[in-house]
Amino acid sequence: MDEFLTSIQQSGFARFIGESGSKWGYPFVLFMHTLGLGMVAGVSAGIALRVLGFGRGVAMESLDRLFPVMWFGFILSALSGLALLATDPVTKLHQTVFYVKLLFVFLGVANMQLMRNRIFRNASVSSDVLPSNARMLAMTSLFFWIGATTAGRLIAYL
Amino acid sequence: MMMGITVPHLHLLLNHIPTVGGAAALLLLLVAFARKSNDLKRIALEATYIVALFTFPSYLSGVGAQQTLLKMPEISQAFVDAHWNAALFTFVLMQLAGSLAWLALWKYRRSSQWPTTTITVVVVLSVLAFAASARTAALGGDIRHPEILAQLAAPGDAATPAEPAAPAAAAPAGEAAPPVVAGTLTGRGLGRSVMDRNWVWPASEALHFIGLWMILGIILIVNLRLLGFMRAVPYSALHRLLPWAALGLLINVVTGMTFVTATPDQYGENISFLWKIIFLMIAGVDLLYITVFEGPWHVESGQNPPLRVKIAGATAIIGWVGVMYFGRMLPFLGNAF
Repeated sequence: MDEFLTSIQQSGFARFIGESGSKWGYPFVLFMHTLGLGMVAGVSAGIALRVLGFGRGVAMESLDRLFPVMWFGFILSALSGLALLATDPVTKLHQTVFYVKLLFVFLGVANMQLMRNRIFRNASVSSDVLPSNARMLAMTSLFFWIGATTAGRLIAYL
Repeated sequence: MMMGITVPHLHLLLNHIPTVGGAAALLLLLVAFARKSNDLKRIALEATYIVALFTFPSYLSGVGAQQTLLKMPEISQAFVDAHWNAALFTFVLMQLAGSLAWLALWKYRRSSQWPTTTITVVVVLSVLAFAASARTAALGGDIRHPEILAQLAAPGDAATPAEPAAPAAAAPAGEAAPPVVAGTLTGRGLGRSVMDRNWVWPASEALHFIGLWMILGIILIVNLRLLGFMRAVPYSALHRLLPWAALGLLINVVTGMTFVTATPDQYGENISFLWKIIFLMIAGVDLLYITVFEGPWHVESGQNPPLRVKIAGATAIIGWVGVMYFGRMLPFLGNAF
């Protein structure tokens, strides 16, 4: 397995990202990863806050338009994340905290879709009457993204 | 360095923002109260916010100037540190005043009523900040103005030299005073206590990234509306979310200053950091515009915002993404880490 991972690490692509020293290599990919994180976690947080009762004048249906923004952020993060992983797969795939991060990201994205189906695409839901578990979903959303971010930062330290 | 302007030059120029600017904003506040004028109060609070915002480059250019100064043998670290500590204290007071001024303006925009307690605290903080900035300026002058030092050291002078002046003034000419061991509540002392605890830096980084997405997420939602998306929503409803972006900003100022205080040499002369601060100023001014000005506030349900409001919305997004980009580039375009 490690042999396979090493071969990825030594591919032209991974070496361009990791070793070229170009600002379009590692720095650019890292920025895309951060931008994607900001879009998916940040917009999720805004929606969670609305569900928790801040900005009641904002109609729930209009927030449905934000899901493509979050999905775009997630895909940006996932692709740039794969590229970053390719530069150092052996170390990262042996770090427990890396899997903790992946778990949080998975939960965060699943939570996001669950909110979309239960709250934003549910004909019986209006801005004034939210399903009973809406607040719970909003809080878990915030929790999962805080967890994913913290675990992500800790990859560099643990 | 551009056109012969060095970081120390820049620092001397920008120092007038917290001192002169802070005094002007305070004066405006007092006049506004005396005249009971809502317009003047608004302008005074806006000025307080803007002065706090532009105190960032004043303070941070000092971090840069310090790097140059401490390489010079005739400069005493004791003097530099005394100025730094006073500057840090002033910076904190200014930021508290600026944050609360923003909060008061945000509330006034929503309810047309001034939060009296908040504004009273802003006035008190502004008075303290003015005193602190005057002291900082005096201590800064002591670092490098021989005519002041000569007066302070002159025998028979009735005035007792300020405490930091004493050790270096007593040192023989041409000899640098030995580095002073800094106490806990000093720039150098705080920096050391960050570096001595191995959890502080990673914890601050995690918080800095959480603050980052709080800012970016709220800024995106609010300013996408100003760009003409989600037209069903009136802007005034989204305005309610702005304090959450402000909270993210507060978290990031505290954690960001932790990094700068712990390792000033990584930021003082870092070109990427300079750009980050420039974008922060743009984003900060834009934040004031979208919080209080009439243009965005009157974007009603179904309305396509006018061009100037769309420009403000685009500026917010570009500004904050710029802050993020140059923050991320600190180690790559600059010399951090």
